[in-house]
Amino acid sequence: MNKEIPRIGVYVCHCGMNIAPRVDVEQVAEFASRLDHVVVARDYKFMCSNPGQELIVEDIKAHNLNRVVVASCSPRMHEATFRKACRKAGLSPYNFQMANIREQASWVTDDSRLATAKAKDLVAAAVGRVAFHRPLQTRRVEVNKSVLVIGGGIAGIQAAISAADAGYKVYLVEREPSIGGHMAKFDKTFPTLDCAACIMTPKMVIAGQHENIELLTYSEVVGLEGFVGNYKARILKKPRYVDEDKCTGCGTCMEKCPTRRVPSGFEEGLAFRPAIYSPFPQAVPKTPVIDAEHCRLLAKNKRCGVCAKFCEADAIDFDQKPQYLDLTVGAVIVATGFAAFDPSSMVQYGYGIYPEVYTSLQFERLNNATGPTAGQIVMKNGQVPRKVAIIHCVGSRDRNHLPYCSRVCCMYSLKFAHLVREKTGAEVWSFYIDMRSPGKLYEEFYNRVQAEGVHAVRGKVAMVTDIVDDPGRGSLTVVAENTLTGRNLRLPVDMVILSVGLQPAEGAGEVARMAGISADGDGWFTELHAKLAPVNTPTAGIFLAGCCQGPKDIPDTVAQAMAAAGQATALLAAGTVETRAEISSIDPDICSGCKSCLQVCPYNAIYFDEGRQVAVVNDALCQGCGSCSATCPSSAAAVAQFNDSQVMAEIDAILA
Amino acid sequence: MEASFEPKIIALVCNWCTYTAADLAGTSRLKYPANVRLVRLMCTGMIDVKYVIKALLDGADGVFIGGCHPGDCHYINGNLKARKRIQGVGSILESFGFEPQRLALRWIGASEGPEFAHHMTEFVNTIMQLGPNPSKARMIL
Amino acid sequence: METFLKNPKGAHEAVRDLLKGLLENKLADAVLVAARTPYSQLPMPMLIADGQHLEKAVPLLPVAPFNAARQAEALLRQDAGRKLALVLRPCEIRALVELVKLNQCSLDQALVIGLECYGRMENHDFLDKYASGEGEPAASRIDEQLLCTACRTCTRCVPETADLTLATFAGGLEKGIWLQAKTEAGEQVCKDLELGHKDMDPGHRQAVEELKAGRGQADRELVEAMARAMASMEDFQKIIADCINCYNCRRACPVCYCKTCVFVTDVFQHPPEMIFRRAEKRGAVKLPTDTTMYHLTRLAHISHACVGCGHCTSVCPAGIPVADFFKTVARKTQELFDYIPGRDLDEPIPLLVFDENEK
Repeated sequence: MNKEIPRIGVYVCHCGMNIAPRVDVEQVAEFASRLDHVVVARDYKFMCSNPGQELIVEDIKAHNLNRVVVASCSPRMHEATFRKACRKAGLSPYNFQMANIREQASWVTDDSRLATAKAKDLVAAAVGRVAFHRPLQTRRVEVNKSVLVIGGGIAGIQAAISAADAGYKVYLVEREPSIGGHMAKFDKTFPTLDCAACIMTPKMVIAGQHENIELLTYSEVVGLEGFVGNYKARILKKPRYVDEDKCTGCGTCMEKCPTRRVPSGFEEGLAFRPAIYSPFPQAVPKTPVIDAEHCRLLAKNKRCGVCAKFCEADAIDFDQKPQYLDLTVGAVIVATGFAAFDPSSMVQYGYGIYPEVYTSLQFERLNNATGPTAGQIVMKNGQVPRKVAIIHCVGSRDRNHLPYCSRVCCMYSLKFAHLVREKTGAEVWSFYIDMRSPGKLYEEFYNRVQAEGVHAVRGKVAMVTDIVDDPGRGSLTVVAENTLTGRNLRLPVDMVILSVGLQPAEGAGEVARMAGISADGDGWFTELHAKLAPVNTPTAGIFLAGCCQGPKDIPDTVAQAMAAAGQATALLAAGTVETRAEISSIDPDICSGCKSCLQVCPYNAIYFDEGRQVAVVNDALCQGCGSCSATCPSSAAAVAQFNDSQVMAEIDAILA
Repeated sequence: MEASFEPKIIALVCNWCTYTAADLAGTSRLKYPANVRLVRLMCTGMIDVKYVIKALLDGADGVFIGGCHPGDCHYINGNLKARKRIQGVGSILESFGFEPQRLALRWIGASEGPEFAHHMTEFVNTIMQLGPNPSKARMIL
Repeated sequence: METFLKNPKGAHEAVRDLLKGLLENKLADAVLVAARTPYSQLPMPMLIADGQHLEKAVPLLPVAPFNAARQAEALLRQDAGRKLALVLRPCEIRALVELVKLNQCSLDQALVIGLECYGRMENHDFLDKYASGEGEPAASRIDEQLLCTACRTCTRCVPETADLTLATFAGGLEKGIWLQAKTEAGEQVCKDLELGHKDMDPGHRQAVEELKAGRGQADRELVEAMARAMASMEDFQKIIADCINCYNCRRACPVCYCKTCVFVTDVFQHPPEMIFRRAEKRGAVKLPTDTTMYHLTRLAHISHACVGCGHCTSVCPAGIPVADFFKTVARKTQELFDYIPGRDLDEPIPLLVFDENEK
């Protein structure tokens, strides 16, 4: 039992007009003043303001308070603020509890009486529980001064460079043979139309040559455990069959390889590549990989080895095996990017059926100087199209596919329209639902493209068909409704571009699981706070950059990558982190040694002391999940701040 | 009596998913019945059967447990342990006349503010139909 | 293998011969068996190291003041460098198996001799009836109505995981007792003692089935009646109304293994204002508090492991049929988790295993 008699101060926040009019804060404070052990209870306009915090500090001193309750917003918002105030007054920050009467009462209840009653209950619960709070001890542990970046697109590259420039070791892991991601496939970027390669290639080279960056391409993160400042990552290096140290990147192997017709993923299936390949000319690293599935020697066990014969550097090594690399890092930046929506399932658009229906990524390659047509926008027959339809929102804003707006498609579709007009002079018809151009110089770009004579039709395309009225006017017909005029449209065209939406990258769920971060219903990773912590995750030391958090364009991605690197390096620069206080401990006098907790602990954070025949928590590994405490029938295992007495006092106070 | 019945619900929710969803419901100003009292825990996996038993014996008209969807648990699998425990204690409480509907376990992800509000409304409606906790206000409990 | 241990003085003497053989042949350093002290007719679990004292062993008597699993556990907690033979009833073996799963002890140094169990009487009934020792039923079956409720309704009266089984139900108890080897260790013992094989009495199986059938009927009736009697909290309050929170039931329970029960820890030492508050809210509160909480929590903690021995009822000073409501609830819990306590050492404890695909 508690020997120290609790002296509790309760502070009810008006939150301006957010809590006060709906919840009768004066009544709640008056109610609180009559609760057991409450010495002082006040209501105040903004508890989180400086004067609000000072109120607490002064009361702690004046009234010798040893517990504090603030009834205001969510603890996810301001728990840290008020804990700091307690600490400032010399009180343990753990002798504090918040009652969330804004998100849980004033904002979700119309009836003032019910909202006030609920607020009272929540305050009583906090007061009841805080009496059982105890000061907790934490330690400071060293932070490992390196960063793991998962994903080598523009987000990962920028985050890696920023962190490396700050002087920290960075491991940049990319599952493809080269870094570069989607951006490496683009030729021009909206709205400025600057050359993507001109801005991307230097970044890739910097990343590849940076003394603080270790590139791990053709590699995947297969394990991640530990905690902020001390994550242990296991990296699988897939066999390249080419020795990175020996290879000079001369490219002879690729020229000589007799397997020539493997559809190129980088070229979105519009071109072929050999079995030994580097995905694109500017690849970083230059070292090619042998695609074991298509290599005559590796896959078909045929006598080949042509590449090895021609390799003057003697870099080909058919005996390479998968390798595992174990890294210790202080922070992790997740930049796994996106995947383009596959429109095959929307059969009405004919993708995969009609050769002249392209996805946006295919069009990017078609338009790219290093692409399959050397940047000529031509049809499969080599002729220039006369009329091109661009269909917006393919997959996006569609309940059956991607319910959200993919944010970048309107702008890149306008870019396509411009490029088609510029390069071919073809007529362009853009079919949109709403034209969305929020962003610096975006609206201006929209105006410019309109002025270039692009036909914009507001309406969803019903279908694309090869049933044409006049074969001379195009091989395809776009059937749509112009919702502004209410007229149906049958438009003969030569080429159709599907502006597909963005969805989370394949394997993103696996990464989330490993990193202990959550994803929303669409699979995008959830940031800690939508506005105030956009690159943080609920797991300390793990940060988000780029499209893995949600669709975004290049400027936003780069900004976010820099922000993530800033957060990660701030953590590393601090040098140490405070261990979490809310972890489990096992009372050896009560423990019966049944080992049940060992079986349920997801972190192997409990070991068995054979000498004393009791279970012991390793506080460096414990995350405070409470699997052990709920399993232990004698409650020998208990999580600080969430022990039986505290939780049951909370329930008791609500119901008593 | 029935008309003025204002049930009291104890909701034991995990910090990472359902509590966050409740915050989101709040910031989105979604309205739901005011009968629910949230008790924030770090994970549904830390819910001791005693909390459920105590809440019902102390007169809660319903106990709602909200955690992360399977596979999304911040602590890998705390929600799966919770599911099994709650199943066990639910079956025991049923033997003593507590209707199984008084104890609900739902997965509500961090971004599912509307789902949170929906589940609260639905659960309160269920409890309204069941009526007050039969063990309410027994001095001997 | 199976054999008939002959002794003209009857089954008990035959069992003593067997145990003596184990000690003399160093197959066991000591034997844990129910035996009489010089001071009472009631047998107690006795650790016998010297074969001479085996004359007091009466494992087949229809009485048992303990579920001896806890005594067995105390001897098997850690390797004492000695081999122990234990003569146990089926419910005691089941409890012991549960305790092994909970890392409370190990069977590495144990030779488990189970007996087919006709059941036990309550201590006072036994003493009242056989105070003088005259007319004692020795080993044979007695009228079911004399048995305690738990035994009268017990269908798991045949050992499931013993090394050796004393097949009481095969009869012939006036001339000895049937012995079955059920494990390799059991077979080895028979070999070492040079016991010759003899085919089991063909009536054995039928005797087992008949007994189980009768008990099964009684069991169903009991559980049904109990389920009705406790169908609401109000009804259950009537059942436990006289409970004085003495916690005898958990002390007697062989699977309630906690060194310190949570109900005697700080968690339930409420600050007085909390109790006052409760009284103020409801007008009055019964003391000590948490009586219902205790019984329900104990059900939640161990009903999956309840072996149905009935000792909780036997020790209750208030005459509360603890075992009856435990059995009724445990039936559902064990069905829910598809778990049978004590059936198999390798069967995982249900609350410690889970996966995504469970419903």
